[in-house]
Amino acid sequence: MITGTVTSIFGDDINTDDIIPASYLQQSTDRRFFKDYAFEKYDPAFRQRCQQAEANIIVAGANFGCGSSREQAVYAIKENRVVCVIARSYPDIFYRNALNNGLVLITLPDTSSFRLGDELAIDLDAGTVENRSQGTRFTFAMPPEERETFKQGGMIGRVRAHLEEILAARQARR
Amino acid sequence: MGQTMVEKIVSRHVGRPVYAGEKISRLPITKLFFNDVIGPPAIKGFLENFSDLFAKYGLTPQVFDPQRVFFIPDHSVPAFAIAIAEGIKLMQAFAKERGIAMYKEGDGIEHVVLIEDGHIVPWDIVLGTDSHTDTNGALGALAFGVGTTEAMYAMATGHLYDFVVPESIRFELSGALPTGVYAKDLILYLIGTMGAGGCSKRVAEFTGEGVRSLSMDARTTICNMAVEMSARTGIMAYDEVLADYLKDRARWPVEPIASDPDATYARTVHVDLSALEPMVAFPHKPANVTPISQVQEMIARSQREPTPDFCPVEDDTITDAFLGSCTNARYEDLVIGAQVLRGHKVHPDVNLIVIPASRKVYERAMDEGILQVFIKAGANVESSNCGPCFGSHMGVLSSKSKMISTSNRNYKGRMGSPEARIFLASPATVVASAIEGRLADPRKYLT
Ligand code: SF4
Repeated sequence: MITGTVTSIFGDDINTDDIIPASYLQQSTDRRFFKDYAFEKYDPAFRQRCQQAEANIIVAGANFGCGSSREQAVYAIKENRVVCVIARSYPDIFYRNALNNGLVLITLPDTSSFRLGDELAIDLDAGTVENRSQGTRFTFAMPPEERETFKQGGMIGRVRAHLEEILAARQARR
Repeated sequence: MGQTMVEKIVSRHVGRPVYAGEKISRLPITKLFFNDVIGPPAIKGFLENFSDLFAKYGLTPQVFDPQRVFFIPDHSVPAFAIAIAEGIKLMQAFAKERGIAMYKEGDGIEHVVLIEDGHIVPWDIVLGTDSHTDTNGALGALAFGVGTTEAMYAMATGHLYDFVVPESIRFELSGALPTGVYAKDLILYLIGTMGAGGCSKRVAEFTGEGVRSLSMDARTTICNMAVEMSARTGIMAYDEVLADYLKDRARWPVEPIASDPDATYARTVHVDLSALEPMVAFPHKPANVTPISQVQEMIARSQREPTPDFCPVEDDTITDAFLGSCTNARYEDLVIGAQVLRGHKVHPDVNLIVIPASRKVYERAMDEGILQVFIKAGANVESSNCGPCFGSHMGVLSSKSKMISTSNRNYKGRMGSPEARIFLASPATVVASAIEGRLADPRKYLT
């Protein structure tokens, strides 16, 4: 169960330049670095709001995370204790980057009922978002493999197993 | 059952017929490239996550196939900060030890140089650590931008994981572009029509007789911006124009590719190229598109109904102009820009920056006297790199700047201050605007 407070509500087409401006990307290879620059130009108060709550949830409209493939956008969000994003849709690159880093993305057809300060509880297995502040409940669909990948924080285990297969096969040929 | 190009390419690489919607748990790739933004963290991640496995088999960590991996420092070069210089040196050392091709700073932009050097061919599955990797689709390749983690996985195993074969939207182009109207105007028009999310989860396939009339430079401009309507990628079939381009250039075997006539598409969109006019995208998103003839109405609308990504524009004046980027700084783009500029001066209030997309383009433009036209007219010509498009050097914008750019994104703050206004347009429109100091129709310079 993922629980948290809605501390940001955004509209449609929030892009990864909005989430983390380019000028910070090459300043560090440490993902924690990007925490301090999340939404620097688009919403400078974002980080402060995130500090007020134990666990943050971002609510957005359609196409959240469009634009550049910079994975630093996912780090910038996640490192600010954001446990989940709920939006109407996500472009593929951002979705995959989030999946690879265990930033949970939930898709709901309508996100307009959420308000700042709402306390939510998300059950990935049941596919439900419960708005405890408003007493409402929504269901979402998520393929089981994706659910597992989100929970495990990525697919590194699978990739390592694959690499080991490749290396073993190479060794057998030698 | 007929297949789209995407379905065909994936089918070949997995060794069985597949169709849209199918999930491929391990998709082999054929080319992989890194820039100076993602290269360093990807190398770090690769060594951290996989070195122990290589050691277990008595091996030093090696990429899946050094012939198929390319390192291209292009975003922040020549390095303007120590951290960037360190990153580039790390890439150099890693590449050298492993026999990976590493381009030099100033050789050009990733989405231009690999194509130019014959590394991209039809049927390739290309991954690049940059969303504009879709550019490579103009060569009949399936090309995706990926983040650090997926690129680092691919570096190790040569695979992309859990890939869902996307459906395609067919853009059926007919007619030919009128004078003063270019590939950039077409793709801006499509982005404006489809919207920022209009091609989401789908591949944009550009087809029809209208494509055949377009050069490779024009085709790459179109595929480059497919991602601005959230397409997974853009793609175009093999034809005589591509065959010609690849002749004496391709370093890998070339085989024709096209979708089957009875392939299934999510949708077909028809566009008559001859009906288009020059287009301008207003700040702050590429989908805020207007024909140049309706700029005044668009300005009025921006004041009347602003939104966070459609900001109020005061008037049509501009202070900065950029002819460059992976979208529009190839040879033909510079020829067009020079054609408009010849006999004129850059407006006294405008800073025009010209950055050829690659060293080869730079040299040819120099040899043919094209760079001289820009320099004599008062432009700043820089060595090849992403320049102000990346917003961190070579023309960063102030809060008062009003920039017209041939690049592909005008997001808030993309090129510097979040207060700056960025307009997107073709090389001809950008140069005409640089002459007049306001958003200008280039057609009067081209008759
Ligand atoms: S020119 Fe701009 S869009 Fe193209 S790769 Fe460089 S930063 Fe990205």
